[in-house]
Amino acid sequence: MSQTTVSTAPTPARNRPKNLLGHAWAGVAMLLAFYLILVAIFTVLSPFFLTVKNLLSIGSNMAFIGLMAAAGTPLIIAGGLDLSVAAVAGISGVIVAMCYTAGIDIWVACLVAILAGGLIGAGNGALTNGLKLNPFIVTLGTMSIITGASLVLTGGLTQPLMIPGFNWIGSGKIGGSGGIPVPLIIMLVVYFLAWWVMAFTPFGRYIYASGGNPEASRMLGIPVDRTQILLYVASGLAGALAGVIVAAMLGAAAPDSVGKHLLTVIAAIILGGTSLFGGRGSVWGTLLAVLILGTLNNGLTLLNVSSFWQDVTKGAVLLLAVGLDQLRVRSQA
Amino acid sequence: MTDKRILDMNGIGKSFGGVPVLADVHFHLDAGEVVALLGANGAGKSTLMKILSGNYSRDAGTIAVNGSEQDLKSPADALALGIRMLPQELSVFSDLTVAENIMIGALPRNGMHVDRGAMEVRATALLERMGLDWLSPRTRMGTLSHHVQRIVEIARAMNGEARVLIMDEPTASLAADEVQMLFGIIRRLQADGISIIYISHYLKEVFAVSGRIAVLRDGRNAGDFTTANTNVDEVLHAIIGNRVGDLYPAFSVNTASAADVVTVEGLNVEGWLRGVDFTVRQGSITGVHGLIGSGVEMIGRALFGAAPRTRVERVEIDGKPYQVSTPGKAVEAGLGLVAAERKREGIVAMLSLRENMSLANMPLFTKGLSVDRKKEATTTAEWIWRLSIRARNAEQPIGTLSGGNQQKVCLARWLLGDLKVLILEEPTRGVDVGARQEIYRQIRQLADGGLGILLISSDAEEVAGLADRSIALASGRVTEIFEQPTEASALMSAASKSAAAA
Repeated sequence: MSQTTVSTAPTPARNRPKNLLGHAWAGVAMLLAFYLILVAIFTVLSPFFLTVKNLLSIGSNMAFIGLMAAAGTPLIIAGGLDLSVAAVAGISGVIVAMCYTAGIDIWVACLVAILAGGLIGAGNGALTNGLKLNPFIVTLGTMSIITGASLVLTGGLTQPLMIPGFNWIGSGKIGGSGGIPVPLIIMLVVYFLAWWVMAFTPFGRYIYASGGNPEASRMLGIPVDRTQILLYVASGLAGALAGVIVAAMLGAAAPDSVGKHLLTVIAAIILGGTSLFGGRGSVWGTLLAVLILGTLNNGLTLLNVSSFWQDVTKGAVLLLAVGLDQLRVRSQA
Repeated sequence: MTDKRILDMNGIGKSFGGVPVLADVHFHLDAGEVVALLGANGAGKSTLMKILSGNYSRDAGTIAVNGSEQDLKSPADALALGIRMLPQELSVFSDLTVAENIMIGALPRNGMHVDRGAMEVRATALLERMGLDWLSPRTRMGTLSHHVQRIVEIARAMNGEARVLIMDEPTASLAADEVQMLFGIIRRLQADGISIIYISHYLKEVFAVSGRIAVLRDGRNAGDFTTANTNVDEVLHAIIGNRVGDLYPAFSVNTASAADVVTVEGLNVEGWLRGVDFTVRQGSITGVHGLIGSGVEMIGRALFGAAPRTRVERVEIDGKPYQVSTPGKAVEAGLGLVAAERKREGIVAMLSLRENMSLANMPLFTKGLSVDRKKEATTTAEWIWRLSIRARNAEQPIGTLSGGNQQKVCLARWLLGDLKVLILEEPTRGVDVGARQEIYRQIRQLADGGLGILLISSDAEEVAGLADRSIALASGRVTEIFEQPTEASALMSAASKSAAAA
């Protein structure tokens, strides 16, 4: 039995002209272009914008949002969703403050807070995958519980946390006063880790497969539920880490300081090209989207645009980007 | 019964992507006639009916309804002409009332509101016509049993000026007395002058209900019989023809001496299978044939741990006891399954050919903590060559390949691992004839290489052409075991021992 009869004609079934927009990196390239345009516009409009100090402060201010989005991206790609992540960040600061007030070492307190975040993530994962509940509903529920619990635990009051070593991870800089902010470094480390896991490990492959087609993945023996549960845990851990950084940055644990940023986190993930239906996306897209949203915020503030208008702009940018991305995806289909 | 010609389809032709599916097909229907439309899978029955119901456009030929030629460009055109189709799967609104379900396409209005009175009066009249005068039109649909819902669906099809009713496998999930009830309704409609096109694989039902039998084979007319003047053999011959031959490779020679690699006793899947025993032999192809609804859909995935509510008395793999649990455990035990619904359960469309290839065997492609991309690439390239998969390159998203090439990837992904038994569900569904031949040849080579293969198919010809030994299923039970290669007609008659025949 020879193979030659058929394999000599390797002509593809459809010889479509190669579409640049259809390339895997086209989405990320579009975001990069958008970011550069934004930078150019603000550079022209404000003399304070294009300075190393200002650009680094954008990175520093966006780090906690970037952290949550870094973990949210693989979770959504795998077919999950975590709306409780920002609430976890809120309670994480509260836990640090309570432990510290109770006389526990500050670093042990941070560890406790981060572990608690992982535990909440495990709970989200168990409810969505064990009981087969819709992640939107589950994490909406846990979000509300955790937000409420933070307020109950603190009576709604902000707890001061002025500890020099601890505050360094929120506002410290490496390389002198003009150096790179610590939160930015932590965020970038997490992004590289997420990228490595997603692009190079078998687990990363399972992330894309689980979200791309859960039925097919199960039929291939891929542990879809375990994959998603681990990602919920990761999301909880990232949320808690973000909370610790915010507390360190503010020098205080404010129970309601992070919750309001949930929509920015989700917006960044979607803006970054991750499909809400799973199976598609990358952390670099998310990182660029975080930068875009941060730059927009920063630039508009420098131009004295009211924060009310900033929300309007943010929403419009999100719709524009998602609309363009949809056109791109359709053009390749 | 009048002899009035209600429908005349002449010289119908249709091709998909240059592949002809229908060529010069004729089909006609008189008023009040019940015509059974028969043919193997892929013979063109459903394409012809989709043309008639306006879902597909035709490439050639004419359609005359009531003597006047019609365009039939859309389903709305067909509906307006009184052509109604009853889909194979129940499509009802469980949370609406019976009356709403019947009238949903043409709700009577009173200004801006639905005229509930008029709606219920008309629904009641239609229910009476079906012999369901005991059923209140206000009953919620979801509370009714399956076969009553089916009849309400027929009532919906009869709303308005219905002339032709197409029924596609209407008895697939009905019990014997329910089938009789359906036949009663068919006779009533017939007496009212409604013409019925009855598509079914159950020959006994066909002989019980139809007046005429039209057969398609490979997209052409293959026979037209008056039911009273023909018999099962003649019809089966028309369905199958003489083309079984070089499409299939030769059978294995030493089947009988080979060892059983899988033994299954007492396999039960609630609602599907009852007490099924079978074995898969090393180095040979064991076929399972049954009609849609017979449990043939579940037998492979039940063993694989992918069917809910499965109970099994005893399973042995390679002589060792095996506990059916999850697909993951099945893969560890050396089982592989190629699912029938490729899009839904086989491929991850957005991932590349390479990624789909390695997905079931990631441990083989892992070095340290990360994926061994080099090994992945060489293995993929090797299998692209071995199965002559036609693709631009290994990075092409698998969703953009043709069905046959996707199927080859679904096969290859198991073969690159350490496999003992390969379960194939409908391996050539939606695959063109050229690719079919290659897939058959590959399946045979795998068996010759020592693999045990369980070939599950609702296409009797495929099982007859490929399987060294086979079993037939009907209504969730084994009806016959063939230890030697057998004829498609024998498999078909064993599989059509329907409950309705009793």
